[in-house]
Amino acid sequence: MVDKRMTGADVISRLRSGMTIGIGGWGSRRKPMSLVREILRSDLRDLTIVSYGGPDVGLLCAAGKVRKLVFGFVSLDSIALDPHFRATRQAGAIDVVELDEGMLQWGLYAAGLNLPFLPTRAGLGSDVLTHTPELRTVIDPYDGDELVAMPALPLDAAVVHMNRADEHGNAQFLGPDPYFDDLFCMAAEQAFVSCERIVPTAEFTEVAHPATLRISRMMVTGVVEAPGGARFTSCVPDYERDEELQREYAAAAADDEAWQAFAGRYLREALA
Amino acid sequence: MADIVSLREGLAELVSDGDLVAMEGFTHLIPVAAGQELIRQRRKDLTLARMTPDIVYDQLIGAGCARKLIFSWGGNPGVGSLHRFRDAVEHGWPAPLEIEEHSHAGMANRYVAGAAGLPFAVLRGYVGTDLPKHTENIKPIECPFTGEQLTAVPALNPDVTVVHAQRADSHGNVQLWGITGVQKEAVLAAKRSLVTVEEVVPELTPRAGAIVLPSWAVTAVAEVPGGARPSYAQDYYERANTSYQEWDAISRDRERFQEWLADQVYGAEVKS
Repeated sequence: MVDKRMTGADVISRLRSGMTIGIGGWGSRRKPMSLVREILRSDLRDLTIVSYGGPDVGLLCAAGKVRKLVFGFVSLDSIALDPHFRATRQAGAIDVVELDEGMLQWGLYAAGLNLPFLPTRAGLGSDVLTHTPELRTVIDPYDGDELVAMPALPLDAAVVHMNRADEHGNAQFLGPDPYFDDLFCMAAEQAFVSCERIVPTAEFTEVAHPATLRISRMMVTGVVEAPGGARFTSCVPDYERDEELQREYAAAAADDEAWQAFAGRYLREALA
Repeated sequence: MADIVSLREGLAELVSDGDLVAMEGFTHLIPVAAGQELIRQRRKDLTLARMTPDIVYDQLIGAGCARKLIFSWGGNPGVGSLHRFRDAVEHGWPAPLEIEEHSHAGMANRYVAGAAGLPFAVLRGYVGTDLPKHTENIKPIECPFTGEQLTAVPALNPDVTVVHAQRADSHGNVQLWGITGVQKEAVLAAKRSLVTVEEVVPELTPRAGAIVLPSWAVTAVAEVPGGARPSYAQDYYERANTSYQEWDAISRDRERFQEWLADQVYGAEVKS
């Protein structure tokens, strides 16, 4: 079987400006932050980001990497709103497609099935359709009900962070929730999995239920071993969220000087 | 929470004349004992749904329990035609049988939509076949984004789904593995469900590749060891190929079939 181990730099070499990139995790939980930092340090720009957003979205917005954001929410969990994303959105600096969480899930699922759309009731009775005029509805050809037609959200690339992976690309979550990382990988042309630790395949089921093997090598292009790769977001049971660092991150939205200080300290030469 | 019942009580309680009944199991775990108990209870006018009607439905049709069959493939696997099914369609014996023919993917998608509470499913299927000419509920649907012509099939929500599984615990949680077919979807799509199992055990231990139907999604569980014979139950018993071969001779002839019914079904003890 193919050895898919690679470095963060290898991942970046496979990405291009203008691509649509999906980011796994959920809010400020199990985000592939080491790969996000690689993107921040790169020349990539004009990205379309698809995410159940947390600080991944805020950082990429603050760094001017985002042209368009497709999202179910952007939150830091213990801090309700991400101030970097808020500032970017209030400035009207990016295009947004704001979706119901279920609609985003369905769009990723449709892309994974290679269908152009799927019908759903999620989004009905809300202003999502008002504010996202490119959405359409579809009529049930049997009973005449009107449903939302959720367009597929095919991704050029997906980046996710898991607790464990093997060198072939099988990957495991050990926390309470798989989020939709498998759907991100299925929706993507190329999927990159960073992980806390690369382990022998047999070790997966020695420590946890087989249902924790949410991502299979069929979905994965590359595996990056990145201990601490989700920090400062949580990656339980390996570590909790670093709340202090998250507060520092949020405070860095105060002004450009604060942002430059934060970026200089944590993102190195990332953001000139 | 699922009740632990006897097969006789469970089916008497859950299945009424005229119901839409799905009995699923793809080659593996076919609920044959439950099918024969429905014959013994002399149910009438059932609409029977099943992706792959084989001898279990040949028996129900020959015994006069069915009014209609919804299916995607019918046959005695590895042997030939279903003669009771043919007799009903070709000669109306013992009763006329209406048929509604779909594709495998169409049937699977119908259960998936039923399980999801959606009115219809969208797929790339049926194109280039004559099925839409013969089956009313196969309709084209246009993708509102790409203009592509796809197919919409209506959700299939059985009144009762009956499946067979390897194990349940005493709370009625059900575990099955091996080829799991569409059993999960067919149970979740149904108003009521009965699962026959090889054994009820104190606790279900995790297994790779196994799925669990939680107790709250199942109406009743009956312990029926050997309930899938002559099909197989992985890790319990093998498929009895000779029974399928013998069925050809039994089912070709009305009198011989009726002798079989009297001897093996009406005259036989309920298995549980």
